[in-house]
Amino acid sequence: MDERLEKALDFSNFMVTLNNQRKLIYEKFLENSVYYERGGKFVVNKELINFCNTLLQKNQTSAIFVDDNNTPIEIDDLEEFLDKILNVYFTNVNEYLIKFNELKEKRTSEGLLNI
Amino acid sequence: MKSGVLLFAVNNSQIDYVKQAIYCAKKIKEHLNLPVALATESSSYVKDSFPFYKKYIDSIIELKKNLSTYQTRKFFDGAYTEKILLWKNHTRPDCYDISPFDETLVIDVDFIVCNNDLLNCFELNEDFLIYKDPIDIFKEREFQPFNRVSDKSINLRWATAFYFKKSKMTEAYFNLIKHIKENWSFYKLIYQIPGSLYRNDFAFSIAIHILNGFQSNDWPKVLPGNMYVSTDKDILYEIKDNKLFFVIEASPPGNFLGVTMSNSNVHVMNKFSLNRMIDIEFKNE
Repeated sequence: MDERLEKALDFSNFMVTLNNQRKLIYEKFLENSVYYERGGKFVVNKELINFCNTLLQKNQTSAIFVDDNNTPIEIDDLEEFLDKILNVYFTNVNEYLIKFNELKEKRTSEGLLNI
Repeated sequence: MKSGVLLFAVNNSQIDYVKQAIYCAKKIKEHLNLPVALATESSSYVKDSFPFYKKYIDSIIELKKNLSTYQTRKFFDGAYTEKILLWKNHTRPDCYDISPFDETLVIDVDFIVCNNDLLNCFELNEDFLIYKDPIDIFKEREFQPFNRVSDKSINLRWATAFYFKKSKMTEAYFNLIKHIKENWSFYKLIYQIPGSLYRNDFAFSIAIHILNGFQSNDWPKVLPGNMYVSTDKDILYEIKDNKLFFVIEASPPGNFLGVTMSNSNVHVMNKFSLNRMIDIEFKNE
């Protein structure tokens, strides 16, 4: 095989492996973004965090949320709920950043699989 | 209220599902710390072949042999090796009757639990939860059979893992599945399912469709966490703690790539490679 083609195919395998591992760590990020409270399922994202913050700024201490299963869930302590979801968000986003940077630094297919 | 995990394991001539069940129970104890009941056709095989089983299995339920329900199907061990073997999957709809728990998580023995996401199913106020839309470990391929019963039919739900609470609703659901199983030639025709094999995933999906008034609906809700799927043409190459390493055939044919899954629950369809890995894991038991 032409050496130039062989090298290109090696690089192609590296790219496919890199893209796949990137997609998998993103799926893991989405999976870890889910928070369960009082029988409700909440995807912790910027929208939920902002909404909680807005309610607190309006001096609300409790609120009813419609969760991701379309079930109404009453949250008694809004401040505590916000603390918990912020913790989920930052833990998760930090983990995602670490994994993403680890992948970015790898230069071989074998390296990509060892993170 | 008593909660636990129910596993089914019925061996054929080459695949030791009991071995897989004990390994599956080991992972369940590690991540979910729940009691595990094993339903199998031969409790003596469990006791004789795996004397350490009590570390992971809390109780054994003896299933009746029913030769008339055995099927044969093709099993792959990677992309280039295939075998036709007996497939004994007829007992799954009995889970409601035989489960010793009030709240039961039923898991396929080739489903490797590597995190505690599934514990959340006991916190949700639902009678029944089941997976849909599993995630292929090789995201670049579009493996169609993952999403629908057949091209023009209903959405597929995966009986690989599901949760149920004993109630009138779930009793009716599992009784309906038994009815579908007994009248499989009719239902596979109506739901345009090719081939003749009875598959629990199909029967569960059909029963959901019927209970929803023959419409798509948001009942039942989805089990917590993701279910990742590797096909039987992928090879499980290594298990290291909660990391699974796979070798998969990418495009063009003959070109193999690696995939690593970390702290993720993975359905390993290649039973042969799973058994090989479990042999290594069980060396120190």
